[in-house]
Amino acid sequence: MATHRSCALWSYCGRRWSRLMRCCRLPGFRSSWPRGPLGARHLSQEKQATETHFGFETVSEKEKGGKVYHVFESVAKKYDVMNDMMSLGIHRIWKDLLLWKMHPFPGTQLLDVAGGTGLAWVLGDAEELPFDDDKFDVYTIAFGIRNVTHIDQALQEAHRVLKPGGRFLCLEFSQVNNPLISRLYDLYSFQVIPVLGEVIAGDWKSYQYLVESIRQFPSQEEFKEMIEDAGFEKVTYESLTSGIVAIHSGFKL
Amino acid sequence: MATLLRSALRPLRQLGGRRGPAADVRLRGVRHGAGLLYPGHIPTSPLQKLLLAAGSAGMSLYNPYRHDMVAVLGETTGHRALKVLRDQMRKDPEGAKILQERPRISLSTLDLDKLRSLPEGSFGQEYLRFLDVNRVSPDTRAPTRFVDNEELAYVIQRYREVHDMLHTLLGMPTNILGEIVVKWFEAVQTGLPMCILGALFGPIRLSAQSLQVLVSELIPWAMQNGRRAPCVLNLYYEQRWEQPLLALRAELGITEPPTVHVRGPA
Repeated sequence: MATHRSCALWSYCGRRWSRLMRCCRLPGFRSSWPRGPLGARHLSQEKQATETHFGFETVSEKEKGGKVYHVFESVAKKYDVMNDMMSLGIHRIWKDLLLWKMHPFPGTQLLDVAGGTGLAWVLGDAEELPFDDDKFDVYTIAFGIRNVTHIDQALQEAHRVLKPGGRFLCLEFSQVNNPLISRLYDLYSFQVIPVLGEVIAGDWKSYQYLVESIRQFPSQEEFKEMIEDAGFEKVTYESLTSGIVAIHSGFKL
Repeated sequence: MATLLRSALRPLRQLGGRRGPAADVRLRGVRHGAGLLYPGHIPTSPLQKLLLAAGSAGMSLYNPYRHDMVAVLGETTGHRALKVLRDQMRKDPEGAKILQERPRISLSTLDLDKLRSLPEGSFGQEYLRFLDVNRVSPDTRAPTRFVDNEELAYVIQRYREVHDMLHTLLGMPTNILGEIVVKWFEAVQTGLPMCILGALFGPIRLSAQSLQVLVSELIPWAMQNGRRAPCVLNLYYEQRWEQPLLALRAELGITEPPTVHVRGPA
């Protein structure tokens, strides 16, 4: 495991490189990832003045990364327990379906972004990945891209680091397609989830952010178009659990 | 339950398609500046309050070290009792002054050196001794969040901050037995559901011996004194540091406290 200072440590085990993130301050690295620190932005200084959303709040783009970081710093300890409580264990099925769709086999070079803990990990920024071009067979991101400040940049980076023929897979909250279920889902999201966060984790606000950020994320079709804009082809999506989540897939051809 | 669901669903009907800040003003607009009644305020629907009350009650029983849950229970169930307390304070001259001046008790507002220099047996001295012996600080009280009235939010904050004063007045340590005794006193004094629940369920984890002492001596004493004393929130404690503790007890009609061992398991 890397120490607090050294951040580019990874090991690969056999057939799979799994790059996972941990928080660490490193000058020169900006991060708008969950669990990443906020460093200085070197590009687009003029963008600092523009605003974006943080849940239903409006914040400057500069602030957003830091605020997201604090949310994930706060929820880290009870992350797994809360996921099970909030989704009644169903998040495991979603993740299993993602793996199933992926059909990884021995030799697959896989990059899992915003992954949390695991085998080997590297600190980086989804908007500026510390990898060369054309490196990976598969790029996955599960419940991470929603929190990135510039989703388009994250998608462009995904495209860059994938080999030709490589596949982009994203599991993320999406828009519910059934009006009745949508109302129940909203009721559950806004009335129950922050309460669960408060009672179990002592943290109302992070879970308020969670349910709000889900509403701010583009719909299945809109996100599909964003993925196409980044250069991916054969982009498809599959809604799960009435559209509560969706798996988007695209290829770099 | 149906009314709660309906009232919770009402603001949600405005949601549709892409939700942005504008669409959810009724549900969320209060969050960001507008509509917040005090710093740290989190507005909640009746359904959320109900769920919070149930969840915090369960969690407090399951994990008694979750003091934040006890606080949440107090806030979500205390509306009626807080109004009664507030009205009692308004009617009393000292209480009304407190409501007006809104004093806060914390390490930053207390002049510890001055308290230490006070004569032996004074309320201020005894309070300080209580903090030292029990190794507690006045700064561990959680700020109010779920009370939807700014004045009542202060009242419950004041109740929380005065809790340590009550320990001093009642001569009770901060072990589980001492806390239960204070809770019984507070339950009778304030009528806060959280105090009543804490008084009734707190003893669940006690040994038979402690339970015996509690029921035979301590609870009757706490209840008698709780009923006899005037509303303890009407005392401007910060202006009574010099008053001898015994004189203050006499003023409130609090009799000699029975001895509760400071050390040892409950």
